[in-house]
Amino acid sequence: MKTIEWGILIVNYLFLGGLSAGIFFVSALATYLQEDGQPAYPRIAKYGAMMAPWPVALGSFLLIFDLGNWYRFYKLFLHFRWESPMSIGSWLLLVFTGITFAAFYAWLPEEARHRLFAWLPKRLAFLKRFDLDLSAWRRPLAMLGFPFSIGVGIYTGVLLGAVQSRPFWNTNLVAQMFLFSALSTGTAALILALSINRKSLDFKQVRFLYTLDICFITLEFFIVLPYLIHGELSVRAVQEALKLILGGPYTVAFWLFFMGMGLLLPLFIELWEMKPVLLAKATVHHNKVLAAGAAFLVLTGGYLLRYIFVYAGQISSFR
Amino acid sequence: MADKGKKKRYALVLDSKKCMNCKACVVACKAENGVPVGKFRNWIDEEKRGAYPKLLMTFDPGQCMHCENPSCVRVCPTGASYQRPDGIVLINYSDCIGCRYCMIACPYNARYFREDLGVVDKCTFCVQRVDRGQLPACVETCPSKVRVFGDLDDANGELQALLTTRRYLVKKPETGNGPQLYYLL
Repeated sequence: MKTIEWGILIVNYLFLGGLSAGIFFVSALATYLQEDGQPAYPRIAKYGAMMAPWPVALGSFLLIFDLGNWYRFYKLFLHFRWESPMSIGSWLLLVFTGITFAAFYAWLPEEARHRLFAWLPKRLAFLKRFDLDLSAWRRPLAMLGFPFSIGVGIYTGVLLGAVQSRPFWNTNLVAQMFLFSALSTGTAALILALSINRKSLDFKQVRFLYTLDICFITLEFFIVLPYLIHGELSVRAVQEALKLILGGPYTVAFWLFFMGMGLLLPLFIELWEMKPVLLAKATVHHNKVLAAGAAFLVLTGGYLLRYIFVYAGQISSFR
Repeated sequence: MADKGKKKRYALVLDSKKCMNCKACVVACKAENGVPVGKFRNWIDEEKRGAYPKLLMTFDPGQCMHCENPSCVRVCPTGASYQRPDGIVLINYSDCIGCRYCMIACPYNARYFREDLGVVDKCTFCVQRVDRGQLPACVETCPSKVRVFGDLDDANGELQALLTTRRYLVKKPETGNGPQLYYLL
């Protein structure tokens, strides 16, 4: 049996990278959509911009820490190898992280920015010339970031899917599954951030986030389902690999904790919360506890999906 | 090995039926290449079947297949894993960052991680010997002559003679890696 080379650090990284991609995507969408020349969902846009850089920064740190020679990580950026998903991914990650920090800066409130620069020691006072108002750049940065957030979200799946020796991964559905999971966890993180905030939520923002998350979860569900069906109708190696989640060691984790509690239960809660919108022209009675609960479940589900795929994939092999 | 300058494609033919699991090849490899304790560049798989008197025991030597289309080389993000023009797949240790993607991509689990150096390592076909015109250590030492190393492009070589006159198989051809270890039937 194959040994596990990529462990929990990689699971965390795949989750955190996808989380940032999702948060940024939703925030960028909220920035891009306008009403009377103003962002249609300013709070979502701002919260997202504030949150997006940190998970991916932490994830990249874990990724570097997992290397055999962490100080050689710069060698990733001395080469570009289009055949290696990891090489493409490293470059995507670098650009994306840069964009998230730029957007963070552009959304930083003026007082906070001044305070930040006030901390600078005297010797670095020349840096104060960078104390600029970049709020005009919010929309261009959002649009520039769209392809990169999608790229980072999908590449985490390509990283696994493009390995032909691991039949559990080697299908063209894993990339999309990870992308939609990333977008969904990003949306959930924003729902969570808004629901643990003391300010009350307005109907428009709730509807926007719930609608997005319902779309993403549904898309994810209809990727997972074909993944299972295709796999069962595929060659023997793939069928054997799928046994890991269909009767094997990851069955409970996959069906009960991922599929049930991480995907369908939050979908049900979100649909329930949206029921007034769907059935009659009533306002959402937005329950903060339910919203936070659903968001928490989506986040755990997304984490579990990475966990199951990283571990089960490495066990699977050709006979 | 034959004259320099001519195009070469190194490969290994194995006659597993001659193998008696003495593990001299494993020991020779470890001695020649300084492989750390607990790690192996080559190994012998053992299979037992049946009960007396109807029984079978087979030994199956394995190592890096020096594939035609090595997936380890393809996934390497820094180009540390590479293939020489003569087909030998090697690792440039100073470029290896230790991400271990190649270990995951290898269908034959032929690679191991060197914790002491933080890099991935594997069989090199004893490139240091082959370039001097010698045989790999495992080939030279094998007492029952299981292994035949040579140049696939040498029409008059022993390798071509065996592959023309004997039936053989390669392992996991469905992965598309094009392994260059030929197992005689």
